[in-house]
Amino acid sequence: MAQAPFTNDIKTLRFLAGEMTQGDLGDKVGVTRQTIAAIEQGKYSPSLEVAFRIAHVFGKPLEEVFRWQAD
Amino acid sequence: MMSFREKIHWVAFLSLILGFGWYFMSYPWAVANTRGGMLTAVWMLIPTTIIFLVPMVAGTVWFTIRTPKEANLKEDEREKTIHLKGTHAAYYPLVLGIWANIFALINGLSYGWSVNILMATLVLAELIRVGSQLYLYRRGY
Repeated sequence: MAQAPFTNDIKTLRFLAGEMTQGDLGDKVGVTRQTIAAIEQGKYSPSLEVAFRIAHVFGKPLEEVFRWQAD
Repeated sequence: MMSFREKIHWVAFLSLILGFGWYFMSYPWAVANTRGGMLTAVWMLIPTTIIFLVPMVAGTVWFTIRTPKEANLKEDEREKTIHLKGTHAAYYPLVLGIWANIFALINGLSYGWSVNILMATLVLAELIRVGSQLYLYRRGY
């Protein structure tokens, strides 16, 4: 599968948030640990709602978590 | 590590192969074109269902006991998409199977063949559905 045309800093943000696990983040967002892993690796593009929820958990605006990198 | 749903998909995939593998290997194909062939197919569905269901139920109970929290999680958006894509992929073998059945009936093959073609269609569609979902789980999406 083609990688998503954007990168994300979820892994770093998790680390900075007290080494939060993928499972913990998944619980807060309402998705499985495997879905968080797939998003982190750029294998799955989350819906806008899940993207906002992730950003909300870290208290960051969306563009600080996800960055467009195509072109 | 695999999610609960992915593990259950593996159990379903292997149970299907086990149950219907036994059926298609054991079916007396020489009498398929007779009324007896049809009745044999219907009768053989009982042990086939048992062979399919026992590992399926046992596997589900086993993984539910081991990971009860995951077992109670609702499908998330990625899993729902995987679910839909798998079901979509299974549509094509179903259509092919129906056409094969129509062809068989037009050409005078009896109900024994018809039942077996329908069964093979269902099994193939299920294998493609579950198999493609397993592939998508591994790929990430």
